[in-house]
Amino acid sequence: MFVNDSMTRKIVTIFGQTGIFEARELMAEKKIRHLPVVDEANRLIGMVTDRDIRSTLPRDLFHHPISDAEKQKYTTMTAADIMTTDLITVTPTYTIQDALVLFQDNTVGALPVVNEAQKLVGIISVRDLLRAFINVMGIGEPGTLLGILVEDKIGQLKKLSMP
Amino acid sequence: MNKTGFLFDRRYLLHKTGSYHPEVPERLEMIYKGIEEGGLLSRLVEISASKADMKWIETVHAKAYIDQFEEVCRSGQTIFNTPDNQMCAQSFETALLAVGGILDTVNLVMEGQIDNAFCAVRPPGHHAERNEALGFCYFNNIAIAARYLQMKWGVEKVAIVDFDVHHGNGTQHIFESDPTVFYSSIHEHPSFAFPGTGRVFEKGSGPGEGYTVNYPVLPGQGDAEYRQFFETVLTPAMDEFNPGFILVSTGFDAHVDDDMSGASLTTGGYSWVMERLVQMAATYAKGRLISVLEGGYCLRRLPELAKNHVEILLHASKTRGPHVRQ
Repeated sequence: MFVNDSMTRKIVTIFGQTGIFEARELMAEKKIRHLPVVDEANRLIGMVTDRDIRSTLPRDLFHHPISDAEKQKYTTMTAADIMTTDLITVTPTYTIQDALVLFQDNTVGALPVVNEAQKLVGIISVRDLLRAFINVMGIGEPGTLLGILVEDKIGQLKKLSMP
Repeated sequence: MNKTGFLFDRRYLLHKTGSYHPEVPERLEMIYKGIEEGGLLSRLVEISASKADMKWIETVHAKAYIDQFEEVCRSGQTIFNTPDNQMCAQSFETALLAVGGILDTVNLVMEGQIDNAFCAVRPPGHHAERNEALGFCYFNNIAIAARYLQMKWGVEKVAIVDFDVHHGNGTQHIFESDPTVFYSSIHEHPSFAFPGTGRVFEKGSGPGEGYTVNYPVLPGQGDAEYRQFFETVLTPAMDEFNPGFILVSTGFDAHVDDDMSGASLTTGGYSWVMERLVQMAATYAKGRLISVLEGGYCLRRLPELAKNHVEILLHASKTRGPHVRQ
């Protein structure tokens, strides 16, 4: 029911000074698309996504040679240069419904989870949320889903629960 | 001691909601009983109901909606808009009397005849949307009072604090893009309770962004979280907003013994909340505060909760509290 139960706790993070190529390799290696950027005290300061990196680098960078000057420009570019700082965050006590509404209203694929001191404690992605709702609804478990059709009026639940 | 108004009228008992319904006339009788047996009646300025002028209701609700409510009611139907909204042939009149009584109470405060007041009305109002009856509510009493304060009395900035255990979706939606009415609600988290709105990230929209503040509490939470809300969220927000009048949506349903929610506010917790609110009224609004009844369904707890509530209004200090603006 809570973000705390469904978030990923093993978070791969980077620092502001991490180079964008390093960030890109990290994403490929860990098969992830979101990298929270933290400071030395593990406080969340930004987020870099694979899309941020793709939109920063020229499309054909790896197929066509570029000038040394241009190469230099990209190799010195850091996470702090391209990260999003205006972040939507949640806390572990947000419910999974809260997270669902946030995903619906905002174009993000993952939400960093912070505690009261703004320290990063987890990350919850759309995939984590899918899994959470599949678990809540018991989809994939053997069993039968029972639907009861009643007239929409007061007192029906009481009637149903009577022996 | 303050001059505290008490709006109550036996005609508020005439709105009948049928069987299996928690919003019953006995609620008001229990509230009256608590205040009477607590020996407070003689110290209060008693106010009785009067019918509201339709033009004030139309500042919040669409004319077509008001007409439809009247028509459905007069035709003898017992449900309006949603199955929760059960009613009887007197419901429309009773709803008019609730609004009218509250507007009269506003006049008394603004004319300086009373300092503050508790309005024990039925039906409640904070779930009523501009065009829809919901959650036992038909006219949004408190929203109409806020507009009345602004339009009739020229109060520029009105704060509405809602501590009914259910989020006041109607009040929030009516004012969400309006920076002149600050709406703040503490309620049971929408993932666990009706009406499913009032998430912490709902903060208003457009020019009203930041003028809606929601603080959901989880089932089982109570006094400590309410204290946290007042101290860390509401006080700084009120300091910033500096209202000319405070309206309170009072719901006694966050009480630990009330079956309508999982919140666990104690009787003492309720008093603490009300004491903070009258302090805020003294700080920002010359003590001007009107509390309007919303929910609260535990009949055996209502007498003591209402008595304490009114006692705090009577003894409220008119001098500025500790939350003085810098």
